[in-house]
Amino acid sequence: MNRMPLIGPKIRDRRRALGITQAALSARLGISASYLNLIEAGKRNIGGSLLKRIAEALGLAIDELDGAAERRLLADLGELASEPLLVALRLDSDAAADLAGRHPGWARALVALHRAWLERGHAVSALTDRLHQDPFLADTVHDLLTRATAIRSSAEILESAGGVVPDPHRRFVSIVGSESRRLADVAQALAGFFASARAGTRPGSPADEVEDFLFDRGNHFPALEQAAEAIRVEPPRPGASRLEQARRAVEAALPEGPLAQQVQASPLLTSDAARRRARRALESYLAAAVLMPYEPFLAAARRLRYDVDTLGRQFEASVEQVCHRLVTLRRPGAEGVAFGLMRVDGAGFTSKRFPLPRLPLPRHGGACPLWAVYQALQSPGTIVRQLAEFPDGARFLFVARALDKRAAAFPMPRRLVSVMLACDALLADQTVYGDGLDLASTAPAAPVGANCRVCVRADCAYRQEDAVIGS
Amino acid sequence: MTRVLIAEDDPNIVEALSFVLSGDGFEVIAALDGEEAMRCLRSAPPDLMILDLMLPKRNGFEVLKLVKTDSVLRSLPVIVLTAKGQPQDRRLAEQIGVEGFMTKPFSNTEVVEAVRRLGRR
Repeated sequence: MNRMPLIGPKIRDRRRALGITQAALSARLGISASYLNLIEAGKRNIGGSLLKRIAEALGLAIDELDGAAERRLLADLGELASEPLLVALRLDSDAAADLAGRHPGWARALVALHRAWLERGHAVSALTDRLHQDPFLADTVHDLLTRATAIRSSAEILESAGGVVPDPHRRFVSIVGSESRRLADVAQALAGFFASARAGTRPGSPADEVEDFLFDRGNHFPALEQAAEAIRVEPPRPGASRLEQARRAVEAALPEGPLAQQVQASPLLTSDAARRRARRALESYLAAAVLMPYEPFLAAARRLRYDVDTLGRQFEASVEQVCHRLVTLRRPGAEGVAFGLMRVDGAGFTSKRFPLPRLPLPRHGGACPLWAVYQALQSPGTIVRQLAEFPDGARFLFVARALDKRAAAFPMPRRLVSVMLACDALLADQTVYGDGLDLASTAPAAPVGANCRVCVRADCAYRQEDAVIGS
Repeated sequence: MTRVLIAEDDPNIVEALSFVLSGDGFEVIAALDGEEAMRCLRSAPPDLMILDLMLPKRNGFEVLKLVKTDSVLRSLPVIVLTAKGQPQDRRLAEQIGVEGFMTKPFSNTEVVEAVRRLGRR
């Protein structure tokens, strides 16, 4: 229930607090005292220029009078209450309205803390990402290791030279030898540290946990692939999509064992919601594996050079289903080209992410606005290819397409999702989407980053916000 | 005599490796950047290549890909050197095709052993 602020009483309270009579204020406003009386009694609506004049006369901001500030406070409290961290408390919105109405100061304090906490979290993530991606750090570590290598190799040569060096000096040869080995160990440890540094992450939503779970398993589940081989799909029936039929076949076969095991055993899924969500993801995985069996699909993908549309027609699957299946082709010894996948909605919300080891896909917030996944939303239905280069020199082929999802009903808005596949530029010529593109490392490419917060490209015209850490 | 091509941009490392490998009976040629490496591979193919992944002009991955997709050069054994040592670099190199993988700083004996093992024709 929304509490509508009462403007009239506010005006009266404020006027009285300032020691101004109705007569004086109404004269100042150019209205009659009796009209002002009606306003203060809540019997007249005001807006526009009169509201503005009243606010000025009473020394208030307009949104303090008309309640916009209160509405914003309520919205902010709503966001706070929806934090995964606080979900278990089941904070209710009526109580929030009460808090905002009766104790606005405390409500504002909560909101301020929430904001500060979010900023802190962003800074920590940005720091971690920076450790991984900052070209300066990477170059410095590389330099350190190169020096250490040269010293170590030379020292070993000197040591094995034996009697070439006069006696008192020989001791120093062995010092150089042992010190260079220690330097080599330190350098490697440092390089390893930067490669593996992870910030302590705050508890994620079930969606986050399921993403981690899938990524942890390399997005490939041999047990489910095996189970899929035992399930047969009925011949196509009108009115049911192939995927629905595959799902039904999965349910009928009840592969309880493999599915339940995968989900229960994982320490990455800490809530029932996460486990249920993971279960649904695995059911989809299984249905896709039934629809597009591993070996025939891999063979076709290689032969057709990963042409998603042709594969979709051949296996009677949608573009999105084919893209998902391509990402799962990670059976050791029988792998397809390694693809990453990202799916966003029309507002830029990332609804699915399967990152590649060298391609960071942002977990919260958007990615770099230059990425093809966003460009594709501007031309729905067409395939947008992009050769993207990151500040550390890594290059990827992005292939994105915005697809129409079935809208609710007229006049509901069009519903688009943009799905993007990504692969290392070096592997792009194995795909049909690399054709006609100059994939050499010296060819021009779109200068992208991971996201604006961590990106070092200072002159980028598309920058959304300043980098969290100065470059 | 087995010919080894070292594609590495740091001259000190090249010198140390050349010294050690020629002392072990190998003939050593060096290329200091990716383009020079590609020229050497085309004009006078070696019996084995030691390839640093971080090369100027054309990076090591590209040189590796050139070798592994070329019908003549494909059988050339390649030992890849990297100072980053990150698992994703290793994975990408393995996807392209590689016979040996060594992270810096390495010991000379490691390199010699690897060359002896892979250079055998």
